[in-house]
Amino acid sequence: MLRVLAVATEGAAGVFQNIKQWAAQADVEFESVPELPLAVRQLAAARWDIVLAVLGEHADGDLAWWVDALRGAAGSPRLIVAARRPSMGLALRAERLGVVDLLTVPLRRDDFERALGRVRSAASEVPIPLPEVKSDAVGQYMLVGQSAAMLEVYKLMARVAPSAATVLIRGDSGTGKEVVARAIHLNGPRAARPFVAVNCAAIPENLLESELFGHEKGAFTGAVARKIGRFEQAGGGTLFLDEVADMSLALQAKILRAVQEREIERVGGGETIPVDVRLVAATNRDLKEAIAQGRFREDLYYRFAVVTIRLPRLAERGDDLSLLTAYFARQFAERYGKRITAISDNALDLLRHHNWVGNVRELRNVIERATIVATDEMLRAEHLPEELRGEERALPDRPQGALLTLAEVEARHIARVLAHTSGQIGAAAEILGIHRNTLTRKMREYGL
Amino acid sequence: MSGGAGGLPPVRVERALGLLPDLEVLNPLRALLVSISRPDERTMWSSSGPYLTLGKRGVQPEELRRHLPPLLHSIAGHMRGLYDAYAEALECQQRSDGAGAAAALVKAGHSEEKVGRLAQALTWYETALAIAEGLQDRRPELGALRSLGEVCLALGRYTEAARHFQRSLAISEAEFDQASAIIACERLGDAALAQSEWAGAEAWYGRGLRLAEGARDARGMGRLERSLAMLARKQGDLTTADIHLRRARALVESVGAADAMAQVLNGQGQLDAQLGRHSAAYATYREALAWAQRAPRDAGLEVSIRLNLAELQLETGRFLEAEAELRRAEQVAIAENLTSRLVQIYTLMGKLRGQQLDDTGFVFFEQAIELSRALERSPAISARVYVEYGLFKNQLGQHEEARGYLERAREIFESLGEAPDVERVESELQRMSA
Repeated sequence: MLRVLAVATEGAAGVFQNIKQWAAQADVEFESVPELPLAVRQLAAARWDIVLAVLGEHADGDLAWWVDALRGAAGSPRLIVAARRPSMGLALRAERLGVVDLLTVPLRRDDFERALGRVRSAASEVPIPLPEVKSDAVGQYMLVGQSAAMLEVYKLMARVAPSAATVLIRGDSGTGKEVVARAIHLNGPRAARPFVAVNCAAIPENLLESELFGHEKGAFTGAVARKIGRFEQAGGGTLFLDEVADMSLALQAKILRAVQEREIERVGGGETIPVDVRLVAATNRDLKEAIAQGRFREDLYYRFAVVTIRLPRLAERGDDLSLLTAYFARQFAERYGKRITAISDNALDLLRHHNWVGNVRELRNVIERATIVATDEMLRAEHLPEELRGEERALPDRPQGALLTLAEVEARHIARVLAHTSGQIGAAAEILGIHRNTLTRKMREYGL
Repeated sequence: MSGGAGGLPPVRVERALGLLPDLEVLNPLRALLVSISRPDERTMWSSSGPYLTLGKRGVQPEELRRHLPPLLHSIAGHMRGLYDAYAEALECQQRSDGAGAAAALVKAGHSEEKVGRLAQALTWYETALAIAEGLQDRRPELGALRSLGEVCLALGRYTEAARHFQRSLAISEAEFDQASAIIACERLGDAALAQSEWAGAEAWYGRGLRLAEGARDARGMGRLERSLAMLARKQGDLTTADIHLRRARALVESVGAADAMAQVLNGQGQLDAQLGRHSAAYATYREALAWAQRAPRDAGLEVSIRLNLAELQLETGRFLEAEAELRRAEQVAIAENLTSRLVQIYTLMGKLRGQQLDDTGFVFFEQAIELSRALERSPAISARVYVEYGLFKNQLGQHEEARGYLERAREIFESLGEAPDVERVESELQRMSA
C-alpha cells in the first residue's frame, strides 16, 4: 500500500476534500497536513512513498524548497506537486527536478490516479545483477574498464611507466588523469618514493608559487612558518601537476627553470635547493590553442609532452559504464555498510542515456549518492539525482503520453540546453545556434 | 561559463578584485562583482571543482556592465535619501522642531545601515543624539540611543553598546516605556554575552524577561527565553538550555512568528546536536528551514541554519551532504553579499577536507582569511579562521605551520582581550606540544 503525505499551506487544505475517498479506493493510505513545519515533522517521524504538495503563490520557490526538503528524507518519497495555474515554465522546471507529476488545482481524480500509476510502475523495475569487475589496483585507486579505448591507454602506460620520461596526460574533466598518473608512478622505478599531487587550478594564483617551491617564515603576509614546497616533498618521487593550463606565465617560467636546472629557490629564501622529481602533468584544455593565444609557454609544453596520453571520454568507452557502475556501487556499499547486488533496468537505461559531462567523476558521484539513499539491494531510478530522473521521459522507447506541440518541444529543448549551460544565456544561444536576444525572447515567452 | 564578448572566458574574481582599488566608495561595485560571479562551467567536473571558492568564480565584464545602471540608480536613490533626510532635519531646525530633526537624522542612519554602511550610520545617530539630548521630550533621545546601541553591537563595540542601552533603559523606565525597557535589557544581555560576562548576561535577560512577563509580551518573552537558552548552552548547562528553549518555542508558536520560530528551532537543533540527539537535530533544522521559508526573507538566518546543519552532517560523517549543504549556503551568501557568513562557510569546508585528510583543503582557509581581511571591524573572525587552519594543519601532520597559525590567532585574541579564546588556543598549543 502506498503512503501519501499531502501538504497544502496558505489555506488551501480544502483541495484534498475528495482525495481521501479516491485514495481509499486506490489502496492508498492518505494523510494531509496544513503546515510546512508539520509536514517536516511528519517526514521525520515516518516513511512516506509520496508527498503531494500544493504549491502556493510563489510556486517556483515552493517547488525548489520541496525538492530540497525531500533530499535524504526517509524512504526517498517521490514528489507530486499541484498548483492553481501552472505555467509551462513551472512544468519544465518540475520535470527537470524529477518531480513525478504536476497536477492542476482543483485536483481531478484521473490526474491523481495517473500520478499514482507512475510511482507504482517505478516500483516494478526489473533487477539486473551487477557484473563482476576485475580491476587493476593502484593503491586505493583502481583502473576499471575493458573497452578498446582504455586498452590503448593501458598499453601506453605500460611502455612509459618504467622510464623517467615526463608525461602529459590529456583528457576531459573526470576521465581519470590523476589515477593514470598514480599508476605510472607506482609501476615505475620511483614507486617507493612519494607521489605528490598539486592542483594548479584550485590554488589561489598568489599562493601557487609558494605551494610549489615553499617559503621561508615571514616571506609574505600569512607566511607564519617555514614551508617545504611540493617539489621538495616529492624528492626522488613523482610530482603530478594537474590542470597546468591554469598557471600564470610568470609561474610557467619558474617551473621551466626548475625542470631545466633541476633546482629551486624557496620564496623569500636565497638558497638554491637541488630537486630530483619525475614530472607528470595533466590538462583538460587544448594546450596548443593556449600557446597560440599566448597563454602557455611553448618551451614548457615540449618539456611536458615528451610522451602524451589521451584519456577517452566515458561516452567513448562502451560498456565500461556498467563495469564502473558495478565497481562504484560495491565500493560505496562497503563504505556505507550496505549491500548492493543489482541495478534496475530503468536506472541503467537512465545512466546509459545520460550525457556524462563530468565523465567517470560524475558517474562516481551519482552512484555514491544512489548508494546512500538506496533502501534495499537494488539501485533504482528513484535513487538517481533529479537531473537524471528528469530525463526519464525523454528516453527512447518510452510512452510519451500526449503528443506535444511544436512550441512545447521547443520549450523543452531550450530548457535542457539552459540546464546544460547552468543558465548561461550566451552559451545556450551558441549551442542552439540562435542570437541571444532571440533566446531571451523565447525564454520570456515560455516562462523559463 | 563561456560565451562572453567574442567568446572570451570570464575573468576570475581573484583577478577582478585585484584590479579594484581598496576605496570605500567602490564597495557597492565590489559587492556587485561578487554577487554576479558564477562558477566556471568548465570547472564543474574538473579535479579543481571540489575546491572552488569565491576567488575562482568568474565574472563576465559585459554582464557587469549590464548591472551597472541599476546599481548606479540605487546608489543615487540612497544618496538622495540621505540628502533629503538632511534637508528635512534642516527644515525642522528652522521650525525649532528638534524632535523632527533628530528623527530625520536617525532615518538617514537607518538607510545607511540597510546598505551595510554601519560606521556611517553610527555618525548619523551620534549627530541625532547630540540634538536629542537638549530636548525636553526624552523620546527622540531614546530613539537615537537605541539605534546607536544596535549599530555598536553590530560593529562589535560591546562596551559602547552597553553604555547606550543603559542610558536608554533609564529613560524608558522614566518614561514608562515598557517595550523599550525590555529591548534595552535584552541588548544589555547580548553585549554581556558577547563579552563572556555570563552573570551579567543572565541578570539582564532575567530582568528583561520579568518586564516582558509583566507586559504580557509573548514575543519578547520568547526572544528572552531563547537568549537565556543560548547563555545556558554557552555555559554548558544543557538541561537549563533545553527548558528555556521549550518555553521559547511554546511562546513564539502562540504568536505565530515564523522568523522567531525559525530562530528558536535553529537553537534547538544546536542543542540537540550537542546532546548527541542527531536525528532530532536533523529534523529540527529541517523544520527551522521550513519556518524560515514562511517568514519574510532573511538570508542571514537561512545561511545560519544551513551552516549548523552542515556542521552536524560533518560531525556525523555525512560528508557528501555536508558539502552539498555548504554549497547551498555559499550560493545564498554570495548572492546576498554576506561576507562574514562566507568566512564561516569556507572555514567549515576546510574543516571538512581536513577530516578527509585532503591537504588541498587549505585553499578554503586561505579564501576565508582573504575575506576576513575585508571585515576589518572584526579581527576576531580572522582569529577564529587561524585557529581552525592551525588544527587543519596539525591534522595533516604539518606541525610547524599549525603552531604558526595558532600563535597568530592567540596574538589577535590577546590584542582584543578575548580571554576565553586565548585560553582555548593555549590549550590547543599545549596539546600539540604534548
